[in-house]
Amino acid sequence: MKLPDQKPPAGPIEPGQLPLVQAPEEIWRSIEAELDAPEPRTSWFRAWQWAAATLLVIGLVSWYATRPAPVTWQVARLGGSPSIGKIKVGEWLQTDASSRARITVGNIGVVDVEPNTRLRLVAASPTEHRLTLARGEISATVTAPPRLFLVDTPASTAVDLGCAYRIKTDASGDGVLRVTSGWVSLEWKGRESLVPAGASCRTRAGTGPGTPYFTDASDALQQALSAFDFAGGGSDALGTILQEARVRDTLTLWHLLSRVDPQERTRVFHRMTELVPLPESVSRDKALLLDPAALKSWREELAWKW
Amino acid sequence: MVVNLSDREISPEIIESCRQGDREAFRALYDAYKDKVYSIALYFFHGDAAAASDATQQAFLKLITNIESFRGESEFPTWLHRLVVNTCLDGSRKRKSREMPIEPADLARFASPASADEEVDRRQRADRIQTALSSLPPKLRLPILLRYFEDLSYAEMAGALRCSAGTVASRLNQGHKLLAAKLEKLRQGVTRSGVARKGMTPK
Repeated sequence: MKLPDQKPPAGPIEPGQLPLVQAPEEIWRSIEAELDAPEPRTSWFRAWQWAAATLLVIGLVSWYATRPAPVTWQVARLGGSPSIGKIKVGEWLQTDASSRARITVGNIGVVDVEPNTRLRLVAASPTEHRLTLARGEISATVTAPPRLFLVDTPASTAVDLGCAYRIKTDASGDGVLRVTSGWVSLEWKGRESLVPAGASCRTRAGTGPGTPYFTDASDALQQALSAFDFAGGGSDALGTILQEARVRDTLTLWHLLSRVDPQERTRVFHRMTELVPLPESVSRDKALLLDPAALKSWREELAWKW
Repeated sequence: MVVNLSDREISPEIIESCRQGDREAFRALYDAYKDKVYSIALYFFHGDAAAASDATQQAFLKLITNIESFRGESEFPTWLHRLVVNTCLDGSRKRKSREMPIEPADLARFASPASADEEVDRRQRADRIQTALSSLPPKLRLPILLRYFEDLSYAEMAGALRCSAGTVASRLNQGHKLLAAKLEKLRQGVTRSGVARKGMTPK
């Protein structure tokens, strides 16, 4: 039998030594209270007004049309005077300098749209919720399984891995992602940056996502990283990054391992292993050859420090 | 009866009813899994009942609000375990700066009643286990708790912990060794002193 199908051996705790503890009844009451919690009064009334109007429209349209009604997301006003109601696949939502809006993404989360933002709903299906952020800033809170909610920008695609984050971009693709909970994968033309809570990642037109970094990393590290990613900072910038890196910044170094020239890779590897010893499960040679399984295994071990 | 999270004793019909928003079905799902989820969280959070209650509530709220996203029964146990693991780890990160282990004796009170001698022995064993468990880092503590309370395969644990089966095997092996060594040390300490230390004293 292969390892994955096997049951692990019992450990030193014998059956019955750790008692199963009955969950207090208050937990269910708290869950019910959360489920029954009403929306704030104004948005509740507005939601009902819009829901009623939308249902009426959908009913009429359905009566005349043979095809099913298109999938839509609810839009609510948070400030200013954006148009509110619903947004359908293919439609754009735009806020001006004084407007903010909240989009309810099916039942998987919410997206807050900041002023001067333009976005389009691209897909709204059980297997994919996707929007395009042409410019501006949004913050998303998503509780869906990984890779169900995606945001395309001119220089990246933010793939939700179960998280909350804020992403900002201008029309050219220059922007930044900041993750506040969970993980986001920033992807662009085969390049991928994995960004955990507490970290940020810049994007640039034509380059895509840069290298993620923790926002509490030193200014020198952040500046050198920007120079390395987007301004041809090369060996000098890398030297500063390595010098400034803390244990937590192995997040940045792990990404750089596969982005530096082969002759620089050993420098990055040595600094990483100075900061955190190489796990037994990872071979030095395989890591330096950028073996995907070795890098993944190393990342999983390092992630406990991030 | 204790329902194992991986036993899938909750029928597909109940899960389907949950998808339809049936509160009774949610309650059935909750009743089936709550004690295991709560116990894992409780031991993970060093016996902190408030933290365990929060984690259990969060895990079930995530489950209830996202259950529509699930297509097949086969994904359900892995998903549920993953929710529990993520919730525990999230809670652990938030509490990192102010984490204070609970007195082990606080945990021992959860055990079922027994005779006076048995009670003393049981409390001492539970004290030692919780102390030893609390000394392990989260990445080793979680696989051990999943292994103890659930009868999962390496692959199922890997799915819940989002790592490879090899990594699970390595962490379990390392965790069990550390746990055994710590338990032995604690056992010897008790034998040498001949006196139950504070926290092991039966209440």
